[in-house]
Amino acid sequence: MTNDDGKVRKIRPRNPGFAGITGEFDLTEAQIRGTDYVGARPLDGGHPSVAGTMPYQLTTRAPDLPLFEGEYLRRLEKVLSRYEDRRAALLPALHIVHEIRGYLPPEAMDEVAERLLLAPAYVRGVATFYTMYNLQPLGRFLIQVCTNISCNLCGADEVLREFLEQTGTEIGEISENGLWTVLEVECLGACGFPTAVQINERFFESVKAEDVPAILKRLEAEVPA
Amino acid sequence: MLSEHFGDPEARTLEGWEARGGYSALRKALGESRKDIIEEVKKSGLRGRGGAGFPTGVKWSFMPKDSGKQHYLLCNADESEPGTFKDRELMRWTPHQLIEGCLIGAYAIQASHCYIYIRGEFFEATQILARAIEEVYEAGYAGKDVLGSGHDLDITLHLGAGAYICGEETGLMSSLEGQRGEPRVKPPFPAVSGVFKKPTTINNVETLCAVPHIVNNGGEWYQQWGTEKSTGTKLFCVSGHVQRPGNYEVPMGFNFREFIYDVCGGPPDGRTIKAVIPGGSSVPIMSADELDVGMDYEAMISAGTMLGCGSVIVMDDTTDIVKQVRRMVDFYAHESCGQCTPCREGTAWAAKILRRIEDGWGTESDLDTLVEISENMTGKTICVLSDSAAAPITSSIEKFREDYLALIGAGTVETARSA
Repeated sequence: MTNDDGKVRKIRPRNPGFAGITGEFDLTEAQIRGTDYVGARPLDGGHPSVAGTMPYQLTTRAPDLPLFEGEYLRRLEKVLSRYEDRRAALLPALHIVHEIRGYLPPEAMDEVAERLLLAPAYVRGVATFYTMYNLQPLGRFLIQVCTNISCNLCGADEVLREFLEQTGTEIGEISENGLWTVLEVECLGACGFPTAVQINERFFESVKAEDVPAILKRLEAEVPA
Repeated sequence: MLSEHFGDPEARTLEGWEARGGYSALRKALGESRKDIIEEVKKSGLRGRGGAGFPTGVKWSFMPKDSGKQHYLLCNADESEPGTFKDRELMRWTPHQLIEGCLIGAYAIQASHCYIYIRGEFFEATQILARAIEEVYEAGYAGKDVLGSGHDLDITLHLGAGAYICGEETGLMSSLEGQRGEPRVKPPFPAVSGVFKKPTTINNVETLCAVPHIVNNGGEWYQQWGTEKSTGTKLFCVSGHVQRPGNYEVPMGFNFREFIYDVCGGPPDGRTIKAVIPGGSSVPIMSADELDVGMDYEAMISAGTMLGCGSVIVMDDTTDIVKQVRRMVDFYAHESCGQCTPCREGTAWAAKILRRIEDGWGTESDLDTLVEISENMTGKTICVLSDSAAAPITSSIEKFREDYLALIGAGTVETARSA
């Protein structure tokens, strides 16, 4: 965890590879996450080469916003320009829907099908294959706790239990205040810093059960009024 | 070499990377013939770092020459093997190292377009890489007529959506094309008919990151590290019950015991090591007395396991082996794409039987059943996910049979519900 001043707590010099937000270097969280380097990405996706890589899970939801208009349409068109086949834009298009709606409603998948000239059933077949596409609404914060082997060896079960207890939910439910949904996920690729927890698009690493209340408090403070 | 600039935020930026010698290899490569670059990479002995260890230069030479078709380079950044976290660090700290490798690789195989398929969960690494790619386009290292060479080199960053199987090269191609990430039968091999049915080469992030260094310094220089057949350095990801987990770059062939005990500090105080997985959850488990082995492809195979992608998972004497094997098999059952019956059924049933044993309601004959299922899952499917699921089962039953037997007959009323 970071200290109040935003500096990452320095434990002791370790090996050159370590780069969790809990550890090691005398760097700010922004430097470790790279947010100071990236800055704000434009809603239209920026350069076409990277237009398909915007956030997929936000705290905000826009249930009525048209899906492919204005900046979002420009983003999709940039994506389409990078492949020789229209179908290749399917995953990026579903990411855009997920970003706007917070999940994939059936009618939105149909709209994607229409736009990419695909059968609606085909789009659903693809959407259900990938775990990052949620077909049910979620809380504002999607808390995904890795319980695969490396995290599991270091107490991931307790971390998961603590998240469920503190949010008062069962796996996959939305909490009463609409803020939380907790899921158990497979390896997040941060095995050296157990337990790895992905909350919306952010990674929290080396999370222990006792860190859970502070993490939830920090997130709660971020909710736009 | 690869990890030199980890933890240095300045190395992320184009300016910082150029100040550290970045993109000199690209300039050099564009002045050389494609054949010479491939020969140099062949000479270096560099082998694919995604797990299979196939020689990179040889793979590149499979690509047709002057076919008149569009060629593609695919960078596999879908790092999702449990225990692996090296590519994420490479991308978040040294995005330009990867991009330079991609551009050189694309040039060498006559591909004018390189896709980097990055796993969807790696949001931070994706944003960093996206910014870096924008910088590269602004500076003219990518796009039309790169550095006045007359060659077009495009890069596109493609975001996955959470499926382990998309790390398999043909599954990755399916996914990039907008399909379910189902692996395809080979042949045709990707070099003949790959993504969009065009000649394609797929390389891991770490492999491509090594390329600029080889172009700059020569293949012979790269051979100074490692063994005769496994050259160079490699990132090893260490996790589990160890004092200092993290990424370590060491020469191939380094002694495994020394690595775990001296470099990584060994097990937590007062504990001893029980088992180690040397190359990610897909490779056979080693017991603590098997560790005097070199960390290279050949030595690991003669020790009955595999180097894989260098993901070392250490388990100490408090570990419940049965539970951890069950957890790994659960993972494969979840991630099986379901095309092949031995995998779809085998992983699901093996997971159920393992859970029954874990709950204390298994029988000794369950172990024979598990071994039999594992045999039927090995070498019988389109891709190796099925084989990967079988490896921890058979190796753990062979090496830790007592752990299984201790649980047989231990069932209680509480655990009976799940039996």
